[in-house]
Amino acid sequence: MIIDGKEIELDEDGFLVDPADWAENLVEYFAKQEDVSELTEKHWKVINYLRDYFKKFEVAPMVRKLCKETGFSLKEIYELFPTGPAKGACKLAGLPKPTGCV
Amino acid sequence: MKPPMHIAKEKDTAAIGFPLVPENDQQAVTLSKMKDLQSSMRSLMVMLDNCTKCGNCAKQCHSYLGTEDYFNFPAARAELMRRIYKRYFTWVGRTFGRFAGAEDFDDETLNKWLTYFYQCNECRRCAQFCPFGIDTAEVTIAARHILSELGLMPKFMQGIAANMEKTGNNMGIPIPAILDCAEFMEDEMLEETGLSIKIPIDKPNSDILYIPSSADFFTNIDTMIGAAKLFHYLGVNWTISSNILEAANFGLLFNLNVMREHNERLKTAAGAVGAKLVIQGECGHGWRAAKMYTEGSNGPVDFEIIHILEYCAQHLEKLPLKKLPMRVTLHDPCNYARAGEIIEQPRAIIRACVTEFVEMTPNRENNFCCGGGSGILMDEMMEIRMKLGKKKAEQVSALGKLDYLAMPCSICKAQIPAVMKHYGIDNLSMGGVMDLVGKAMILGKN
Repeated sequence: MIIDGKEIELDEDGFLVDPADWAENLVEYFAKQEDVSELTEKHWKVINYLRDYFKKFEVAPMVRKLCKETGFSLKEIYELFPTGPAKGACKLAGLPKPTGCV
Repeated sequence: MKPPMHIAKEKDTAAIGFPLVPENDQQAVTLSKMKDLQSSMRSLMVMLDNCTKCGNCAKQCHSYLGTEDYFNFPAARAELMRRIYKRYFTWVGRTFGRFAGAEDFDDETLNKWLTYFYQCNECRRCAQFCPFGIDTAEVTIAARHILSELGLMPKFMQGIAANMEKTGNNMGIPIPAILDCAEFMEDEMLEETGLSIKIPIDKPNSDILYIPSSADFFTNIDTMIGAAKLFHYLGVNWTISSNILEAANFGLLFNLNVMREHNERLKTAAGAVGAKLVIQGECGHGWRAAKMYTEGSNGPVDFEIIHILEYCAQHLEKLPLKKLPMRVTLHDPCNYARAGEIIEQPRAIIRACVTEFVEMTPNRENNFCCGGGSGILMDEMMEIRMKLGKKKAEQVSALGKLDYLAMPCSICKAQIPAVMKHYGIDNLSMGGVMDLVGKAMILGKN
């Protein structure tokens, strides 16, 4: 996958293989795939929180913690990211796809 | 034929110890693995030798009823392996070939196996209604095992196995994150009750090792909180081990050697904290693997293994419960009702926690699978998953207005909400049984 002249490896689900490849200009591209029509400050608040947590703990935060720390209800998270916190939000933030029973 | 799920890449299966077998060798390796299973999995031979094609299983299988695909009819699914077995392992099949229901191994054999053994939820409902008791789940387990030994598996299973190797849990949660999650849940309980209720991690000299379900540290935190409140109220000495954070044992669902390694992990973790009692959280297949195969394949063990719903039911009379004003039904996870004797315990608990409990039909050991069973949770299979969940949607919608659907298994918890949404059943809360215990218990300022 070549985005803005840079080659980026994506997995079968379209998530970044290497989270270090994440760059702001990729978010627009992922947004289209995950039914996010317009990126707003609210989206960025979630994306930035996910990225900060991932930098520290190398995994996505618990969904309730994400809600509490960003101040959005789960319903609002789904309004922002229609494919959900584990899929859409994590993909836009460049996190690996949460796996297991999710 | 192209299988409906992402198949793991060669480099990724090699990384977890399952290098891809070259195409030219696939037949020989398949047959040699079948031969191994002939002695190690005798049940499989009974399943392969005895089908009369009476057709009884067709109308009992949600996979066939939902997809109407001939190969999802349990007898036809098992035939995908049975025909190969007959051809290479029986005199009649070697001699009379197709006329005796035997079939040559060809280019399509493994693609068919990947396609259809991953549309079987291993729910065992066919076995419940088969006059011979033929359990297609055993055939599915064997087929998936052989496929993985050939280096062929869904990306979904490979990803979980890779996480297990990296962190020891399916979700790939490193220890600092485990501690952060436990602290977050403790804070939630403090806020709610005013009490300091602990979720101990790796506490030595513990009497009880609790193994939460997969995703209890991600999405299903009310299940974890319910269990923590129960242990707190009973005042028992318990811990969680970072070496076995989840009851889920995906080995049972794709490779039997991986299952055995996971059981060994359980055994070691229990020994490390000194536990004489191991309690499994709300996980269906994990319960089956732990209850049925820990002692058998990794035994002897010097601890008892029970389920959190068994444990909770044993102590129910003592708990300070105030009934929640709710109309609730229960979805029986297949591996509880048809493989692990957890049937009446959740009912007793729910009745003690809510004002109205209603049964869905059919129920108990005749219940239909959610359609996600055996780890069919791949996003790319969503269309098929919704067909597999059609029966469940019909059962729930027949009950009219409900407040809560209890589904004490993490696979069910991942699959059923998507099914309900797809079939237009909304305004329904869903979650575990321990979630209700946690909410109905009067603790501290509640």
